Amino acid sequence: MSGFVRKEICEGVAFNSIVDNRFKVGRLGATLITPLSRETAAANALLACVLTRSCKKYPDFTALNRKLNGLYGAALYASSGRMGDFQSITISASGLDDRYSLDGESVQSELAELLCEILFSPRIIDGQFDSEDVEQERRQLLEDIDAEYNDKRAYAINRCIENMCRDELFSIGRGGSREDVAGLTQDKLIKAWKTLLDRSRIEITMLGSADPEKVCGRFENIFVKKPRRMNGSTKIVSAPSEVKRVIETDEISQSKLVMGYRCTYPKTNREIVASQLMSAILGGTPTSKLFLNVREKQSLCYYCASRVDKEKGLLMIDSGVETENIEKTESAVTEQVELMKKGAFTDDELIAAKLAVKNAFVSSLDSLASLQSFFLGNILREDPLSPAEAAEICESITKDEITELAGGIKLDTVFSLVGN
Amino acid sequence: MRFTERKNEHLNETYYTAIHESGLKIVICPKEGFNSTYAVIGTNFGSINSTFIHDGKKVTVPAGTAHYLEHKLFESEEGDAFARYAKTGASANAYTSFDVTCYLFSCTERFDESLEILFDLMQSPYFTEETVAKEQGIIGQEIKMYQDNPEWKVMMNLLEAMYVSHPINTDIAGTVDSIAEITPEILYECYNSYYNLHNMILCIAGDVDPEEVLAVADKKLKPAVSVKTESVFPDEPYEVGKKYTEQALPVSVPMFALGYKEKAGGEFATTKEMLTTSILLEAFAGDGSALYRRLIDDKLINGTFGSEYMEGSGYRCVMFDGETKNPKEVAEIINSAVRELHKNGVPEEDFMIAKRSVYGRIARSCDSTFSLASTMINDEFTGRDSLFASEIIAGITLDDVNERLKEQLDPDNCCLSVIKGIAEYSDPQIGNA
Repeated sequence: MSGFVRKEICEGVAFNSIVDNRFKVGRLGATLITPLSRETAAANALLACVLTRSCKKYPDFTALNRKLNGLYGAALYASSGRMGDFQSITISASGLDDRYSLDGESVQSELAELLCEILFSPRIIDGQFDSEDVEQERRQLLEDIDAEYNDKRAYAINRCIENMCRDELFSIGRGGSREDVAGLTQDKLIKAWKTLLDRSRIEITMLGSADPEKVCGRFENIFVKKPRRMNGSTKIVSAPSEVKRVIETDEISQSKLVMGYRCTYPKTNREIVASQLMSAILGGTPTSKLFLNVREKQSLCYYCASRVDKEKGLLMIDSGVETENIEKTESAVTEQVELMKKGAFTDDELIAAKLAVKNAFVSSLDSLASLQSFFLGNILREDPLSPAEAAEICESITKDEITELAGGIKLDTVFSLVGN
Repeated sequence: MRFTERKNEHLNETYYTAIHESGLKIVICPKEGFNSTYAVIGTNFGSINSTFIHDGKKVTVPAGTAHYLEHKLFESEEGDAFARYAKTGASANAYTSFDVTCYLFSCTERFDESLEILFDLMQSPYFTEETVAKEQGIIGQEIKMYQDNPEWKVMMNLLEAMYVSHPINTDIAGTVDSIAEITPEILYECYNSYYNLHNMILCIAGDVDPEEVLAVADKKLKPAVSVKTESVFPDEPYEVGKKYTEQALPVSVPMFALGYKEKAGGEFATTKEMLTTSILLEAFAGDGSALYRRLIDDKLINGTFGSEYMEGSGYRCVMFDGETKNPKEVAEIINSAVRELHKNGVPEEDFMIAKRSVYGRIARSCDSTFSLASTMINDEFTGRDSLFASEIIAGITLDDVNERLKEQLDPDNCCLSVIKGIAEYSDPQIGNA
């Protein structure tokens, strides 16, 4: 149940590894973290797509994909995420552990080489990425942004956050707006590539049975003399001035209600775990307050759930209901939130939440992707939590600690997407 | 009773299988060093088993009954199973598919207690007018949620258009109207017909001792008399019912699903047939294929493009789906590529690459207790053997793939399903205003 072994290559660049031979795949990733900015967010997001489409060695996506497929269906992932007011770009490669390859080849060292090719030797000719690559990836990223609207649950939550945080960097999202992506130039992309490699905070993660030494060496050679320091901080709004109400209508069968709350920013690891417990008691399990009262008692919905964004200090509650039940659902949710704020939960509720949250923490030790994402999700913290530590802390959190955090919950925005 | 042990030496995975005296079949895949254990118990009663013969009587139940029963089985006279799981910390759930209903939990401690709850919940049906009525609102909202889900609708509409009489053409959860007809008596009838331990399978993947599982089974399972229930399916023609179907939903990127219906009897495809189809689809439409290249170059598809093989009692089809700005053009290109494929077969190099890719996928799925247990239970219901898939695949030749192709992807027997935007909402700029 050990955590990552961390080695600082230079200031701002670290190599983190877990050697674990339980798995049949290995996973290697590079995460580049930078303050969210309207100027660069879209460029960074598109860059991640362009980089994973081709490189000097595999100059088009068919050549690259055939290489990956031949390596027993290895995969490259590019993703752009938001952590508080920071953006993280992660490029990961995952593929078969060498012990299971059929012809004795080392998939893991090939993947390490490939990830380096992708990051450091993209196909740049005369100072430009291939224009076909850029246009294809731009089109797909735009379609991806547009398609957020296809998933009404996710769309409603996003719209609530956009309205809630409209004057904050957070509202830029994980990769900027449609217009930002549409307006990107080659120069901006090239600049994004250079800036990310030279100035962003970089966390390399390697998980699996392979020996990290050699792979770490590759990155050391590249970064050892390139220290950097990332500035910036996340704006935390603890007291919204007044409750905002936003209503949109659409041709849908089921209306969506999203209630966005500000809550106390969890500063310590104990507070992080306590905030997870708070959300679990309120709306994180099939025995939570929202599930039992809004769904089971009142039969208002199929789902009514809460989740916490620990880096931004948000609590989001969402449900899908009949249009005529929107108000009734809002009252039912408010009633449960008020109970939570007063600390009106029983020992049984607390124990159930602890067991459920602990189960989730410990389960994440069984997947390389979960281990990687848990680690990265806490990386902005001085003393990043590991799942094992989180599970241990969970046991000793008291009712008072949770009540104190819950006391800081304040309603900020109510968003409804109403069916016609 | 003893466990039969079977081991795949290369992948280092072992299955332990036994039939408990109660009639329940148990399959266990021990995963040393894993923290979470995943257990799933299921019966071969899914949404398509809506007509059956039990005790010499032919019964037809409303659409959505299997799924409704799944929801209601969590309640017993003593209370709610979720409340009991809350005391062990297990994360519990259930699902109903076209072919099966499964109940599951995953846990990192107190496995025995959670398994006891799972066994109890299977054996203590409790349906009253009141409890059945309470679920109408909840499932009604679940149904409406799916009605707004374009990915789900594009597939359901496709099945509805392709299949004329087979109940695969009906939504798993039914409709708000059909579930209004469900009564406690109907639920008991289904329970008594299909929830018989001789008819059920328990699969477990995790760091467990098979003997420990048996001990819990001995304690909790009541010996059952074997019940024979026969599902009845109407005759289904080979030809698709319709060639085209479309629906307008508020989407900003349209979606398509192109289905190729094939000949299907009562039997399931074999492990080798399934693997051969996987290789075929990977070679033909995977992200390294000429077809994929063409569709991307023509700006017709994006990363959501994929292919899938669906098969069960009385239905078999290959499906291609994804987002596209021009569904008809995508369908035309795929279908002419299908014609070419039948003419020329799969290129040798594409076959070799696809085979390695599919092997990797099999090995990869052993890393998750969830995918292992899901594969194991699926195997049991279909008579397949995924434990040795990595060995079976090694023996598959290019000839096998081209031979299999003859029964699949009939270019004259396909159907296109489209979800298009609603005019005033299809422009994302308005959607975001």
